[in-house]
Amino acid sequence: MFSSLPEKFRSHGLKADVRTLLLLRKAMQKGLVKTLGDIYNVLKGIIVKGPTDLGPFTKAYYEYFLQVPIQPGQTLQDAILRSETFAQWKTQFLDEADRDLNDEELVNTFLDQVHLTSYDIKEVVSGKEIWDKDNPDQEDKDAVDQEGQPAERVLDKMADYSELSLEELLERMEKVRQQQKTQHGGGSHWIGTGGISPYGHGGAAKNGIRVGGQGGGKMARKVMGDKNYFPIDRDALLNDNNIDAALASIKGVIEESAIEKLDVPETIKSGLKRGGLFIPEMSSEKNEELKVIVLIDNGGYSMAPYVRSVQNLFRKMKTRFAHDLEVYYFHNTIYNHVYTDERRTKSISIEKLLAHDKAYRVFFIGDAAMAPYELNSLSIESIKSLAHKFKKAVWLNPEPLKYWPHTYTIQVMKQLIPMFPLTPSGIERAVRAMNTKSIEG
Amino acid sequence: MAETSHWTGSDKYLCDPALAQAFHMARSLGMPLLIEGEPGTGKTELPIHYAKDRGLDLEVYPVGSKSNVEQFVARFDHVKYLRDSQIEILNAQREEKGLASKLTTGNRNPELLKDYVVKGPAAIAYSKPNSVLLIDEIDKAPREFPNDLLYALSHRKFIMPESGEVIEVSEEDMPAIVITSNREQELPTAFKGRCIYHYIDFPDQEVMAKIIEKHHPRLDEKVVRVALDVFYHLRRLGLERAPTTREILNWLKYMGEIAPKEAVKKIEGLHGIGALIKTQGDMERVNRLIGADENFGGSRFN
Repeated sequence: MFSSLPEKFRSHGLKADVRTLLLLRKAMQKGLVKTLGDIYNVLKGIIVKGPTDLGPFTKAYYEYFLQVPIQPGQTLQDAILRSETFAQWKTQFLDEADRDLNDEELVNTFLDQVHLTSYDIKEVVSGKEIWDKDNPDQEDKDAVDQEGQPAERVLDKMADYSELSLEELLERMEKVRQQQKTQHGGGSHWIGTGGISPYGHGGAAKNGIRVGGQGGGKMARKVMGDKNYFPIDRDALLNDNNIDAALASIKGVIEESAIEKLDVPETIKSGLKRGGLFIPEMSSEKNEELKVIVLIDNGGYSMAPYVRSVQNLFRKMKTRFAHDLEVYYFHNTIYNHVYTDERRTKSISIEKLLAHDKAYRVFFIGDAAMAPYELNSLSIESIKSLAHKFKKAVWLNPEPLKYWPHTYTIQVMKQLIPMFPLTPSGIERAVRAMNTKSIEG
Repeated sequence: MAETSHWTGSDKYLCDPALAQAFHMARSLGMPLLIEGEPGTGKTELPIHYAKDRGLDLEVYPVGSKSNVEQFVARFDHVKYLRDSQIEILNAQREEKGLASKLTTGNRNPELLKDYVVKGPAAIAYSKPNSVLLIDEIDKAPREFPNDLLYALSHRKFIMPESGEVIEVSEEDMPAIVITSNREQELPTAFKGRCIYHYIDFPDQEVMAKIIEKHHPRLDEKVVRVALDVFYHLRRLGLERAPTTREILNWLKYMGEIAPKEAVKKIEGLHGIGALIKTQGDMERVNRLIGADENFGGSRFN
C-alpha cells in the first residue's frame, strides 16, 4: 500500500523510505489517522525535518493525495482552482449547497475539508441543528460573527474512517488514489461525498460535524508563497535570490578547508625554549589570507544576464571576507591582455596578470561559447599559462550543464581549466576542488 | 499505560494546535518530539507545563557543550565504591583496636555493583512509566551526543555502566520525551529520523496577545496593544537579533507595575527598550530609525 509514496516524496527532495510507511501504518493502528487532514499531519511529523522541508512537503502531499500539481511560483489557491480534483468536488458540492459561493469561499471550504483533522472535530451535529441555523435569523448571526470571535466552522461532511478496519482503510485509500490517477470523470472522491464519507451520504447536508480550532488549510496556504518554507534551489543559475546561498557555499567551504599544518619554525622556537624538548606545534591555515582574481566575460548578449549577479556576488564576497579581490574583464576568451573596466577600454597585459602571487584563487566566469577560430593557439597558450601559474583556478559557466557536450569550445576550455556550473552547488564544488589543489609545484 | 490523551495547553501555557497535535502524535507513537524554532517561542515550556498540568514527573537534562551520554544516562561512582570497599578492612582494624563504633556504607553493598550506579535523568525517566523527559537545547551538544542516543531511542533501553543492569521500557510506558533545538547546528539525519519533528512558527500578533494574557492576566488591554505594535514594528526592522516572546513578556512585566496610562506613555517613549534589544548594533539601528530617546513622542505608533 502506498508503495509509491516514498518515491514521490523523494522526488521533491524529502527523505522518505520504507520506514516512513511503517510509521504511517503504526500511526493508523494507534488511531491517529481518521481523516485526510490527519494523514497530512502525521506525515508532516514523520517526513518534515526542517522548516524548509515544509514547502516541498505540502507540494508533494497535494500532488500525491489530491492530484493537485503546484507549479513553481503558483499559489495554492490558483493550483487548486485549476485542478480536476477541485472541479469534480465543486460540481458535487454545488449540487448540494443551496447557494452560490465565489471562488475564494469555495477554495476555503475545500481546504477546510482537506485539512480537517480529527482534533478539529468537536462534535457531530445533527441535521436538525444545521437546518435551524439556516433559518432567517442568520443575518443577525452574521453580524455577531464579524465583531466577535471567528465563526465556528461547520462542515457538512467529513471523511470518517474510524469505523473501518485498518486493512479496509488502506485498501480504500490506495484504490481511490489509483482511480484518481487514471480516471476520466466521476467515480472517486477523497473528499466530499461518494464512497468515503458516511455523513451526508446520499442526501444533502442531513448531518454534519462541528469543528473548532485552526484550519490547517490556512497554514498550507501560507507555506506556498513563503520563501522561508522552501529551500533555495541550489542548482538554479545564480540570481539575486540565491546569491547568499552561493556566498555561503564559498565561505563555508573555505572555513571547512582549514586544515592543521605542522608549523616547523614555531616548533623549533618553542622546542628551544623548553630546552630541547620538541613538541609539534600545529597551526591552522584558517588565517590564510584569501586572495581572489575574478575574470568575467562580459562581451556579447550571451553573458549579459549573468554579469550583474556575478558582480554582486563578488562585491559581497569582497566586503565579507576576501579583501584582496581584483576583477578583470574579457570577451569570449583571453589573448594577451585583460581589461580593467567593464567597457573594456583600459587593459593590462597577461604578463602583468601573471606577476600576481601564485596564492591567488582565480575564477573565470563565462559561457566559453565562441566561434572555434577565436580559440586559437595564442589564446590557448594564455589560458594555459594562467592555469599553470594559478593552481587554484576554476571556470564557472552559466550555460546549462546539458549543453556542454554540444559546444566545442566548452569542451576545449574544460580540458584547460576545471569547469563548474554557475549555481550555488556548482560554486561549492568548484571551491572544494580548488582547496584540494596545492599552490606549490 | 502512558498518558496519550490529547493535551491542548493549560491556563498558563497557550499551546499552538499544530504543536499540540504533533506532541500527541509523538506520545501515541512512543517517539521523542523534536521541537525547533526561534528562541523564546516556548519550546522548553511545553513539557514543563504539560508535566505540571497533568501532575507527571519531569526529568530535565539541559545540554551543554560538554554533555555526554554518561551524564544523561548513568555513571558509576568509583569514589564511593572505593571508599566502601575499604570500609570492611577499616572496620576489621577498628575491631582489633577495640573500638565499638563502626563505619557504615550507608546500606550500600560493595558486592552489588548496581548500588554505585548514579542514574541520570534519562535512566530515571525510563524506569518510571508515565514520566516526562526534557532534553533542552540539544544543538549545543557535541556532535557525538545525539548519535549516542540513537540506540536508546529506537530500542527503548539503556545499559547501566559496570553493573550491566538493563533499563528497558515498553512502547506503552515510554516517557514523553521532548527535545528542543535552536538550530545552531544541524542534527544528524539518523537522529532526526527517530523523532517526530515540529517547527514552531513565530506567533502572530493575535496569538501573541493571547500568550501575554496567559502570563499577565491583569495587564491593561491598551498597554498590551501599544506594546505589541512596538514589538512587531521592531521585528520588522530586520534586526540582527529580533526580539522574541520571552523579551516582550519581560518588558510587560516591568510595565505591569506602572499605572496603565503611564505605561502607555513609557512604551511609546520606548522606555526600557533594553529588555527587547540585545545588541549594541541593533540599539544603534533602532535609535537611528525610530529614535528611541526622550524626544520621541511615540506618534508613529498611534
